[in-house]
Amino acid sequence: MKCDDAKSAIPLFLYGELSFDEEGRLEAHFDECQSCRGALARERLLHRAFDQAELSVTSDFLTQARQQLRTGIAASTQPHSSWNSFFERLNFRWHVPTVMQPVGALALIALGFFGAHLLPPELAGRFSPAGVAGVPVATRVRYVEPQTAGKVQIVIEETQQKTLSGNLDDDNIQKFLMAAAKDPTDPGLRGESVGLLMRHPESTEVRDALLYNLEHDPIAGVRLEALKGLKGYAQDPEVRKALSRVLLADKNPGVRIQAIDLLIQHNEDQDMGLMQELMRKEDNGYVRLRCEKALRDMRASPGTF
Amino acid sequence: MAQTAVRMDESALIRAAQAGDERAFEQLVRQYDRDVLRLALNLLRSQEDANDIYQEAFLRVFRNLHNFRFDCSFHTWLYRIVTNLCLDALRKRRVRKEETTVVETNDGILDRMDTVEEPRADGDPQRQLMSRQLDSRIKEVLQGLTARERMVFELRHFQGLRLRAIGEMLGTTEEAAKNCLFRATQKMRSALGDFV
Repeated sequence: MKCDDAKSAIPLFLYGELSFDEEGRLEAHFDECQSCRGALARERLLHRAFDQAELSVTSDFLTQARQQLRTGIAASTQPHSSWNSFFERLNFRWHVPTVMQPVGALALIALGFFGAHLLPPELAGRFSPAGVAGVPVATRVRYVEPQTAGKVQIVIEETQQKTLSGNLDDDNIQKFLMAAAKDPTDPGLRGESVGLLMRHPESTEVRDALLYNLEHDPIAGVRLEALKGLKGYAQDPEVRKALSRVLLADKNPGVRIQAIDLLIQHNEDQDMGLMQELMRKEDNGYVRLRCEKALRDMRASPGTF
Repeated sequence: MAQTAVRMDESALIRAAQAGDERAFEQLVRQYDRDVLRLALNLLRSQEDANDIYQEAFLRVFRNLHNFRFDCSFHTWLYRIVTNLCLDALRKRRVRKEETTVVETNDGILDRMDTVEEPRADGDPQRQLMSRQLDSRIKEVLQGLTARERMVFELRHFQGLRLRAIGEMLGTTEEAAKNCLFRATQKMRSALGDFV
């Protein structure tokens, strides 16, 4: 492979867009060519520069956008809701003679009255608007059991939706947010909950929840949000212990860098050993640089171990 | 009895939303909307414009969901809408000679980008300065790219999408998307080479 071909393939190589064979040829070329290895290192630096310039979406921004969308959708559905269509059909298709209209209205009232009285309460509930507290919004048949005389017993589970609102410093609100921050099925919900909880890290329970997400959440973005929330508590022994574990175990370099930044806010003796241990096992060049700088600031040479 | 959350897979969610279930639609939106907003914010570098794209894109999804026939993934369908809106916005800007982010207010001159959070740079003043210099340089470079080059770069670098998927979203081939990415990185390398 010629150097020109190798250099032009570097961007695709870094994005993992080369075929298996092309990648193999390029790697073989890097082994032999110092100039192309240098070009690869420069391209990696360029990628890191792009990463630094990336703008992130804050929880507030996302929440506002969602609220606005809800309003927009409500406004766009209003003139053509199913009820409006129903009334439009009444008016335009049936052509009810004017004299008959009071009779029709009376018939509708009677239908509503008897309908409400004759429908079983379980079914009547289904026809209520979704989202009202206490009304089932999702139903699942749990099991069915045949009985004698051609009857059957059906056991159903109903999930209800309820809207709560309150201040972020309210204990109950915080409890719900802490539960949502651990929902294993919805990373977006976890991220938003952590984003809200991080505004009140003064409570021990909230800090514990943030620490849990920091160490256990599979999504790096959520772990970074949790780290942000713990920023003011970098001197807390429990937080420091968690940061030390994260520094050595987290797979995301961004999280490791933030953990270094928090730890070195309050230098403690054991940090030196921790940083030296990190230097022994760290592969990421930028994390190594941050770690080296931290060691130099502690007047410890990165080369003494 | 322990309350079991009812979880639906994406196809079931789409079908429920098509049948008018607003909760299903909201759940569908929440699966993708952070990435959509991030894409628009990074492409347009303005919270206001990014929000406009977000609103317009999801309103279009809401209005046209009944036409979605599962011929492609919902993600691809949604991103076709979003990328078209973003490309239009980028092209309009180019016609207007790129509006400045700096505005005059009652409190003096303000760069609207200062209100956008830069999470990686906080805490360390030296890093903040470096980050600002680099950010303004990258902004200049990005303005030099064509709308399609910017889009492909953004989708590959920040959204982590494969070139094949990007080609499908933009109605082009994988090879064309590859060439676009290649040109974009080449332009940026030559403009930022001395900085890094």
